[in-house]
Amino acid sequence: MSATNDTAVPGLNGEPNRPSLYGAANRDIIRVLFKPSALWFFAWALAIATMSWGGYCWYYQITWGLGVAGITNPTFWGVYIVNFVFWVGIGHAGTLISAILYLVRSRWRTGVYRASEAMTVFAVMTAGIFPMLHLGRVWQVYWFFPYPNQRQLWMNFKSPLMWDVFAISTYFTVSAVFFYIGLIPDMAIVRDHSTGLLKKIYGVACLGWRGTNRQWRHFMAAYGFFAAFAAPLVLSVHSVVSWDFAMANTAGWHSTIFPPYFVAGAIYSGCGMVMTLLIPMSYLFKWGDYVNNWHYNNLAKMCLLTSGILTYAYGMEYFIAWYSQNPYEQAIFWWRMTGDYAWAFWLMVFCNCVAPLPMYWSKVRHNPAALFVISIFINIGMWMERFNIVVSSTAHSFDPATWANYWPTWTEFGVTVGAFGWFSFWFLLFSKTLPGVAITEIKEMIAPPVKGGGAH
Amino acid sequence: MSDTIPVKAVYAHLDSMLAGLDRLKKAGISGWSTTAPLPRHEIEEAVYEGRPSPVRWWTLVGAITGICTGLLLESLSMSDWPMINPGGKPVVALPPFAIVMFEPTVLGGAMFTLIGMFVHAGLPSFFLDKAIADPRFTDDKFGIVFPRAPVSDKDKIIEILKGSGAIEVTSGADTHYEVPNA
Repeated sequence: MSATNDTAVPGLNGEPNRPSLYGAANRDIIRVLFKPSALWFFAWALAIATMSWGGYCWYYQITWGLGVAGITNPTFWGVYIVNFVFWVGIGHAGTLISAILYLVRSRWRTGVYRASEAMTVFAVMTAGIFPMLHLGRVWQVYWFFPYPNQRQLWMNFKSPLMWDVFAISTYFTVSAVFFYIGLIPDMAIVRDHSTGLLKKIYGVACLGWRGTNRQWRHFMAAYGFFAAFAAPLVLSVHSVVSWDFAMANTAGWHSTIFPPYFVAGAIYSGCGMVMTLLIPMSYLFKWGDYVNNWHYNNLAKMCLLTSGILTYAYGMEYFIAWYSQNPYEQAIFWWRMTGDYAWAFWLMVFCNCVAPLPMYWSKVRHNPAALFVISIFINIGMWMERFNIVVSSTAHSFDPATWANYWPTWTEFGVTVGAFGWFSFWFLLFSKTLPGVAITEIKEMIAPPVKGGGAH
Repeated sequence: MSDTIPVKAVYAHLDSMLAGLDRLKKAGISGWSTTAPLPRHEIEEAVYEGRPSPVRWWTLVGAITGICTGLLLESLSMSDWPMINPGGKPVVALPPFAIVMFEPTVLGGAMFTLIGMFVHAGLPSFFLDKAIADPRFTDDKFGIVFPRAPVSDKDKIIEILKGSGAIEVTSGADTHYEVPNA
């Protein structure tokens, strides 16, 4: 059973029509769960295959050492760090949409926030693998964490790498808890639509939720606080990631513009990835009543805004290099544009500054196929931006005698591709086991059933 | 035979349920619990009359605990090796420490909020009264449930609930309804 358009009611303030009944929302979202199609199995098998290939590459690197990766003097931060920053960036849109847009009462977040939050959690899980890969001796991974002054270590809390450990682990924990809290009432709905073992599993997962006045009261209070805490985290995490670069005295990195520039880039890439995931998801699951052009239009506007900020930041970097009259800054920025990695630079400029421009036309913002294509460019562009920043500055540092170009080896390529498989593995699993749209919040947008009128 | 009995009313309309709630309060009857498929501010106002949830105190305590933990972790571990003087710069320096103080503030605030929510909302709650475990309440129905109403008040309660427009009022073993939603 599904909601049909003849029961739909007109939305307010230019919003699309939506189902008029609470029950319809339950059934439309839940009907896609637990019934994987052949296409889903194919996609999942592909994800497992690429993930396994990435796993093999990592195994190969553990066996033979970091030498199998292309990172060497002078470029010690290769695509592992590129991937780390890329995936942390992807993780930004989810919490932006779920927390900041919740606090500003932006109604279009309702349809897209659950999938974006899932994307955030899985993206940060993906990002977290790369420092371990980059470490080489992964069995010493516990050295990341600050056990105060054990093992004769002097913990340096003035190091941005240390800040990053705190920022990423806090961000992951808070995002995962926020994701779970939002799921509690929706998992209770799944429980009440199922029987047998599924009912038991979801009954435990939703902690025995019943929607009593007491539960809703504290749930809503806690949810508001979670949103309030998650909102500054969105801005802080990528600022801290940017300081990994900006705090170093390296030409091309040592810049105060980095935090806002990185945060804007993260939101840009995250909203791009949300479109990449949700446009096919809504189409395949026939969720047109819940995720539609209204949401895509708003996501596209977010991308346009952040693309503008990025374009400004790129321009400003060049302006400051010229205006500061610092020969090292000038050299590195000139080399980025014309040197061995110029292709990465111009691909970045095209994908981040030019490709989103058609979205200024309303027709493009209301065309899911066009937006999907643009979102792929956004993903490529943001990966290239990180490649451009990480690799070029270290390959051409202050002393020309140390200059050497970096190119990733097949191990690094394998792990990069494997990361997409790992991410897709989790996201596909999510799409078939948890409500991909926040059912309870959709209900909040539907007028409650009343006998005598008066309620709203 | 016990002297309490479960009573459950199922409502199809929000305003009928609020009317039932109002009549129960006016009749001085307590021991009820409402249930709804979504948070509605009308219910919260009717039940709690604007009193804020105490979860906010947990949040405050968590955030303060977090910021103190961050500062102590940084300053104590940095001061533990005082022979290192980093170029004349202070060993305990607040500007760079602010970042690692900020993160535990958020983490502490969020985790304490989570615990506070669990404590006050009574979660997890796996041993529920059967009366309240009705799958219709997460679908599209509202409810007023008495897990343990005094037997002496039973008739009065049922009368009020029926009179306010409940589509179903049951008591005793009849409150048990477990048919999953289609």
